[in-house]
Amino acid sequence: MRINRRHFLAGATAAAGTAALGMPFAFGQARAKLIVIGGGAAGATVAKYVAKESGGAIEVTLVEPLTQYATCFFSNLYLGGFRSYEDNVHSYDALAGTHGVKIQQQAAAGIDRDKREVTLADGTVLPYDRLVVSPGIDLKFGSIEGYSEAAAEKMPHAWKPGAQTKLLKAMIDAVPDGGLVVMIAPPNPFRCPPGPYERVSMMAHAFKSSGRDKCRIIIVDAKDKFSKQGVFQPAWEKHYPGMIEWLTPDIHGGVKSLDPATNTVVTDFETYKAALVNVIPAQTAGKIAVDTGLTNESGFCPIDAFSMKSKLDPNIYVVGDACNPGDMPKSAFAANSQAKVAAMSIRAELAGARAFPARFANTCWSLVETDDCIKVGGRYEPTEEKIKQVEGFVSKPTDTADIRAQNYQESLGWYAGITADMFS
Amino acid sequence: MSIEAVARLIASILALAPGFAQAADAELGQYLSAECLTCHQLSGHGTGGIPPIVGLPEDHIVEALLAYKTGERSNEVMHNIAARLSTEEIAALAAYFAAHKPKH
Repeated sequence: MRINRRHFLAGATAAAGTAALGMPFAFGQARAKLIVIGGGAAGATVAKYVAKESGGAIEVTLVEPLTQYATCFFSNLYLGGFRSYEDNVHSYDALAGTHGVKIQQQAAAGIDRDKREVTLADGTVLPYDRLVVSPGIDLKFGSIEGYSEAAAEKMPHAWKPGAQTKLLKAMIDAVPDGGLVVMIAPPNPFRCPPGPYERVSMMAHAFKSSGRDKCRIIIVDAKDKFSKQGVFQPAWEKHYPGMIEWLTPDIHGGVKSLDPATNTVVTDFETYKAALVNVIPAQTAGKIAVDTGLTNESGFCPIDAFSMKSKLDPNIYVVGDACNPGDMPKSAFAANSQAKVAAMSIRAELAGARAFPARFANTCWSLVETDDCIKVGGRYEPTEEKIKQVEGFVSKPTDTADIRAQNYQESLGWYAGITADMFS
Repeated sequence: MSIEAVARLIASILALAPGFAQAADAELGQYLSAECLTCHQLSGHGTGGIPPIVGLPEDHIVEALLAYKTGERSNEVMHNIAARLSTEEIAALAAYFAAHKPKH
């Protein structure tokens, strides 16, 4: 195994950190306290791995207002009719029952970084030795003229799981044959880079499979290229010829305004009166990360790629969509991968466990049509600057049908695997 | 890599494996295993296109990882993971998963 000088130093720092805390943990007088804010692909994984592998040496508290977690990943397959909503819902029971994670079922109201305390919505104050901030993303409603949280009831974003996802599904199912769908796709960086394009595929599948062949989908994109574009577009032409149109900023000239009352989208190029408008706005780290001063000018949280620690606070780790993951995408796979590096580093700091070199991997699968699934992935290593991609792969437009069908089966297995890894 | 070279490599890795009963190396296997568990379930349950790996014999795991590392087996996701595994890491992973029993 390769361990470079940096990792020995990290281990030495970890040992020194324990000493600086007065070594309370070595003598069993008090258990070190870890708080995790946010129980998604990043937070649930950190909470489970630290609790499970620290043998009781670290008290882990997960602060999460939801009783059950609906995954954002695979929500597009629900929209396309490939899964039920309930197929994507998971319980926190095993984290508490099997692994001894204390669950605070409420939101975190604030963080006092100097005192190392988290204040919960009900006013409870919880001290921590280390804190994991994993709130996911927040949507910048104000980034599009006319869009707001209220407008999202008419023009859903469905970029966070829950009622919005169900609302969008109902609206897709209600689009009449010949109806126009407009999707406003976000600028980088955003959660799930292939997600908007998989979603469009699932909309097209829903229309085609229910005899609504004359529906049209226009993507008004803030970007001039997108993830797996060279594979998505030929697949769209194969499965849904003429149904999907993708417009770059130099064509549409920007979204000028939205009118939720009339489902109207005004761009420099044209005014669309649509049957359904799906607005995916620009994004930032979750509000508590922003409020606590853990973000930089990017709107996301800079991290040390060797440990997933915040670069702005040595007692805080930021994992998942809220962090700036360097070359990694904001995906559940990536969040789960980062969480394991953070859990290893936290155990080294708080319980004297052995530190290992950080390693990261990602794969994102996207379903385009029944048994036609494409993927992109890579592996990554930490550098002083960022999490850096070492090698990558992406599906080919020339893949056989067998390969695409195998990809779909692989994605189903991954979903079962990662949700078991997070929640069982 | 020739078949003979792969066989020699497997033999050399398996020779390392008993050493992984020691605590430090078990820790390495446990840390590395987390990367596998994103897809492969620790319960030993297989779903969809992701096969179970828990409880497999060590030589089986070593052979599979080497085949993905060298490209002899062609799954991109597995190549992506296996490509950076050293022989010690492969041995640690094989020992870790071989030592676990599937829950049935």
